[in-house]
Formats: sequence, C-alpha cells, structure tokens
Amino acid sequence: MTMLELKDIHTYYGNIHALKGISLRVEPGEVVTLLGSNGAGKTTILRSIQGLLRPRQGTIRFENKALEILPAQAIVRLGISQSPEGRLIFPRMTVKENLEMGAFSRRDTLGIKTDTERALTLFPRLRERINQKGGTLSGGEQQMLAIARALMARPRLLLLDEPSMGLAPMLVTQIFSIIQDINNQGTTILLVEQNARMALTVAHRGYVLQTGQIVLTGTAKDLQSNEIVRKAYLGET
Amino acid sequence: MAQAIKSRNILGAIAALTVLLFGGWSGAVIGWLLGTGAAFIACQGKKITSAKTGIRLGVNAGLGLGIWILIASLVQGFLLLPTTGQSALGIIQVLTLGGAGLVVATLSGWLMGAAQGLGPRRQRITVAFLAVILITFPLIDQLADTNWTATVIQILIFALLALGLNIVVGYAGLLDLGYAAFFAIGAYTTGFLSSPQINLEWNFWLVIWIAAAVAAVAGVILGAPTLRLRGDYLAIVTLGFGEIVPVVFRNLTQIQIYEPISKIFASLLGQPKLAICLVGCDRPFNLTGGEAGINPIGRPALPLIGTFQSGKYLPWYYLVLLLVVLSVLMISRLRGSRLGRAWAAIREDELAASAMGINLVQTKLMAFAMGAFFAGFAGAFYGAYISAIFPSVFDFSVSVIVLCMVILGGLGNITGVLLGCVIIMAADRLYLPQLAQVLKSMLNTSVLPNVANPALRDFLATSVDPLQMRLFLFGLTLVVMMIVRPEGLVPNAERQAELQSPDEESLAEVRSL
Ligand SMILES: Nc1ncnc2c1ncn2[C@@H]1O[C@H](COP(=O)(O)OP(=O)(O)OP(=O)(O)O)[C@@H](O)[C@H]1O
Ligand SMILES: [Mg+2]
Repeated sequence: MTMLELKDIHTYYGNIHALKGISLRVEPGEVVTLLGSNGAGKTTILRSIQGLLRPRQGTIRFENKALEILPAQAIVRLGISQSPEGRLIFPRMTVKENLEMGAFSRRDTLGIKTDTERALTLFPRLRERINQKGGTLSGGEQQMLAIARALMARPRLLLLDEPSMGLAPMLVTQIFSIIQDINNQGTTILLVEQNARMALTVAHRGYVLQTGQIVLTGTAKDLQSNEIVRKAYLGET
Repeated sequence: MAQAIKSRNILGAIAALTVLLFGGWSGAVIGWLLGTGAAFIACQGKKITSAKTGIRLGVNAGLGLGIWILIASLVQGFLLLPTTGQSALGIIQVLTLGGAGLVVATLSGWLMGAAQGLGPRRQRITVAFLAVILITFPLIDQLADTNWTATVIQILIFALLALGLNIVVGYAGLLDLGYAAFFAIGAYTTGFLSSPQINLEWNFWLVIWIAAAVAAVAGVILGAPTLRLRGDYLAIVTLGFGEIVPVVFRNLTQIQIYEPISKIFASLLGQPKLAICLVGCDRPFNLTGGEAGINPIGRPALPLIGTFQSGKYLPWYYLVLLLVVLSVLMISRLRGSRLGRAWAAIREDELAASAMGINLVQTKLMAFAMGAFFAGFAGAFYGAYISAIFPSVFDFSVSVIVLCMVILGGLGNITGVLLGCVIIMAADRLYLPQLAQVLKSMLNTSVLPNVANPALRDFLATSVDPLQMRLFLFGLTLVVMMIVRPEGLVPNAERQAELQSPDEESLAEVRSL
C-alpha cells in the first residue's frame, strides 16, 4: 500500500501560484528526495502535506486517509512530523524542553522516555547539551535538535527540509549517515535537499521540481546519470 | 554583594520616605514589612549553613533599615512637622516612634534571618512568613493607625488583573492592550445579577463565578477575530475592543426590542403599532445606567460576619486576599501544564508550534479565556466592594497600568508581576497622594506667606502638585526601568538569557522572516 500520495496539488500564497499540479507518492520504507532550485516549491510541498498550508485543489492521502481536510495537529497525530526549513527550534527552551515539545502530540510517558533516549543516542552531541538553551546551540547542533525533535513525535513518515543547509562538509556527511540510520530503523523519509549529490546517495527515488511543477522523476540511480540533473544539480559540465 | 548593598539602600530610602510622609507609627509598620524583606534579600544566593549565619545577615539588614527609619523619624518629628503647620513632637515621643521602628526592623530581620538559616525548608518557611504578614497586616495596620488597608485592597484587586494579563502577555506572548474590557465585563455582570437595575439580587458567592465565566466567554469571543493577527496588529485590535466595551456599557440605556418579523411587516405596511414589542415597551429599558452606572450592587454576606459593610475593611481584605492566593495557585499550576507548555511554544514560534501538533486556535483562545477569567474575578469583587460601577472606571489607562505592572515586574514570572503591582499601586495610590498633601500644607504654611510677588504665589500654589504629574512620573519610571533593567525586576530565567545575548534574538528574528 502506498504510504503517501499527492494528486494534482495546487497551493497558492495569496495570488502566487506556488504549486501547479504536483503528483507524487512515497512507498513505506523509502527515502524519497525532492530536488529543485531555490523557489521551486519544495518547502511548499512539505507544508501542504503537514497541513500548515491548505492546497486549493488536489488530494493528499496518507495510508488511505485524506489529509487535505485535516488540521495540522491531527496530521501530526497520524504519524507525520517535520524538521522544518531554517530549523525553527524554540530558542528560549532547553534542548530537553525542545524534545518534549516534539512529543507534544503524544501522551504515553513511557514511550516518550524511550524515544528521548533513542534520539540522544542518535545525536550524542545533544546529550552533552541537554540543559543548554536551543538558541545558544551552534547551527549544526540546532539542525540535529530539529531532526531529533521531529523524531520525538514517533513519525512513520519524516519530512526533512534541507537538513544539510549551512553545515560544514564533515557534518553534512554525518547528518546524512544519521538519516540513513533513521531510515534503516524503519522510518519512511521525504527529503528536501539542495545538496543533490548527497541526497541521491541515500535516496531510493527522487523527483525534480521546477517552478511548481515536477519535471523529472526516477530512481536515484537514473537521476544520478540523467543529463539534466548532472548539469543543473550536480554541477557537472 | 554590590547588588545586596544597592537593594538595601533602596529599601532604606523607601522606609525613610514612608516615615517622612506618614509619620506616626508608620515607621514601625514599614520596619516590620521591609525588615523582613531586607533580611530575605540579604540571605538570597548565599550559602547559609546554620541559623547563626542567617541571623547575622538578617540582623545586619534589619538594623541598617532601622537606622534609616530612626533618622527619618527625627527629621520628621523635629523639622518636617513644623513646616507643615503642625507642632513639633517632643523628644520622648520622637525617640519612641523612631526607636520602635528601629527595634521592629531589627527583630524582623532577626526572625527572617533565623528562618533562612533553617536550610532545606527555607522556601516553605519564607512562604509561611509571607502568609503571616498578609494575614496579620490589617490588624497591625489598625493597631498602628496607619490606615493602609483600603489601599492594600485596591492593590490586591489590581494583583488579580496583573496575574490574568500575565497569562495572555507573559505566557502566550499575545500583546493585549484592551484588558480592562474584561474587568468591565466582570463588574457589569455582577451589576446586572445583583442590583435593582434589572431586579435580580443573586447571591454574591454565585455571581462572582458567573462573572468570571462570562468574562472568559467574552475573552473567547473577542479573541476569535484576532487569531490570525500578530504583534502590532493584535495590539491595535485589542486596543479597539478595550475602547468599545465601556462605550457599549455607557450607551445601553435606551433598549427597546421588537420581534423582528412583525417589525418588518409593520414598517412595510406603515403601521408601527403592528410590531410586537418584547423588551422596554412602555418606556425604553435602562440596562447599564449610562454614565451614572449601576448603584447599589449587592454585597457578599457570611454566616458569622453578616453582610460586608463598606467602611469595615477586614472582611473585604481577607476575601480579596483569598482570591489572589487562589489565583496564584491556579496560575502556577497552569504554567507547568500541557496548556502552559503550548503557550510557551506559540510565544516562541507559531509555525514550529503548529508543526509540533499544537492547536493554535484552541491554545490562543484558552489564553484569552483564562486571562479574562481572572479579570472577571477582579471585576466582580470590585463591583461589590465599591457597591457601584461606572463606565469611566474601565478606560484605557487601566489596561496600560496593568500592562506596566506585568512588564515592570518581569513578564511571565508570578512573583515579579505581583511585585510590579505592589510597587506601582503603592506609589500611585498611597505615596503620591500623601506626598501631594504634605507638599500642599508645607507650601501653605512655610512658603507662600513668604512670597511677595502675587503672580509667583499663584503659580506656586497651583502648579506644585505631584498628582498632576502622575502620568509623567509613570512614564519616567518606565523609561528608566527599560534602560536599567529591561528584563523586569524579577525576570524569568528564559527572558533574561534572551536579553543578555541580543545577537541570538536578532538571529532568531531573521530566521523567522
Ligand atoms: N509566505 C510566502 N508568501 C508568498 N510567497 C511565498 C511564500 N513562501 C514561499 N513563497 C513563494 O513560493 C515559491 C515556492 O517557495 P518554496 O519556499 O516552496 O521554495 P523552495 O523550493 O523551498 O526554495 P528553497 O530551496 O530556496 O528553500 C517561491 O516563488 C516563493 O517566493
Ligand atoms: Mg525551501
């Protein structure tokens, strides 16, 4: 059964037609990546899935439930969480409190505890800084916190918006290997990335987006060898 | 250390000012209150291993304060009184009053210091001290003949308002400039339900809960249209509501309601008599009494005490004290609750909060409702206490003053907010009027007779009046405060961290753009 399926989604910001008929799907267990240049509409897709924006047209189904009519808080409870673009951690809360906020939609105290432990094992740096204010973490640590916080909702589908943005190459490699780990532990991932090279190494499939439309799709291998992708996103000539 | 000395001098100056303005036994009363406070502050942040160290610190603080009081008593008794047209006191009398202040301040410091030395139970004992002070205050006040209880009741009414507004502004981060509207709604609900105005005389103990509930519902209704607004825009809309509500109450004096369908037919047929009248048929119905307000309003009654009387402050004092304590308990539980965490999250970042699965609409509406609930409490008590309400009581300045209390004390911190309330209200309702009075009599007896120029004399007589400078002093305090200590008197830890690292905050701002 397909996990997530978008059909002909149109999303607007006022008069700006940001998504012009997006259709895509994500199968259980996959890592699917969305590639595209700035302003192509990648963030808009994630926000539409999570109910933070309402598409004007089209349907979104998650495990056969219609998402486009549900409020954001119900969608989180269904098992979709997001590490948003720009991280958006709570700067005046500690690392611990940020993680607790990530589990806001849950009430199983015991499960929250094991998931906190799991998140801190994935990101040992956060364990060292458990009582530090989120706003005083370094950029990379904030990115880790944003991903860990998203995991605290125990999602079945994890949405990651540019997790490598602004990180040093070392850290980028590390973050992608953690993403791989999260996927290996059974979480399906929809990954938005500027760093196409890295994204295509962890992803199974990918979609290429241009000004609100999908122009190319295929397995990661196909995309890696595709002429357009090589030129536009992998920086080859 | 420098901090301790600074706060000690400030407390000393306040005590001295009190003695200078009020005279009499006020030195002993203020010595009791501030001596306890000074000892508490002196022991803050120190490692106190035994009662002995605590006592040393406490007595030190109390004695320092007592010396201020003694000196002020001497100045007041010998120098100040004659210049205001009263006769100077005898040496024995002055020494008794000043000495009492000194002794009481030192003893209070001793007690508080000893209590602080008790180690792990420190916090509970501090609360117990506060409780004893609050419970015995009106009795001591009567004994010392200082007559402060009436003002303290007003302070406590505003404490309810400040606590409620702190939920909206401090916890949820929604700037509300029209908070007085809910105070008005609570008071008018009480007015409607327990006065001859519409012939309902319900029991106060029931009405106060209804008033709070009605205010909470009003909070939801007024909050709903503002949900999509942030920051400045929200402030302007709430400001508008704050203005509209008293105007509505002022004008609901000529009510006539017709059954709508018959009214339409009647006007179509040109036969006004056909309209079926429902309310106010013989004579338009006066709901709110307009500018004159609603008067009288029923008072609470208790088995042993009987109906509360207007001049007898004791029952009123204990009632409003009870309300404040109840509110503090409820609000401090709220903060740590699920709802409290949701408020903190939307205050920091709405988009992220929403991505965490927080229901923005519900969370914001709950903030407005809970905030308004406590204003409803305050309004109900106020209406019964004054036994009358007028629309002019609930104007914009009330909203502003309450907001100032919250900001001055420290957004989001209950202790800070209460402290801010006490400082602003005491300055505004106690010290300033007394200062005006003392200055006036000083002017009349010692200055004016010696001024030859009649123009200058008139100018002095009319312009030296601190009450006229009330708003100026108010603004000045805020400006100074924002420069010296922008995080408030007792900041909450989060806000302090944020203000101390300004680049962090601007970064966060850039990110959210
Ligand atoms: N809040 C907004 N109001 C108006 N237009 C917006 C808003 N947010 C995004 N847009 C527009 O919608 C389009 C898609 O934006 P989106 O943020 O989805 O791009 P993106 O693919 O995530 O780009 P990037 O890689 O730079 O993050 C852009 O043209 C952008 O200008
Ligand atoms: Mg984006």
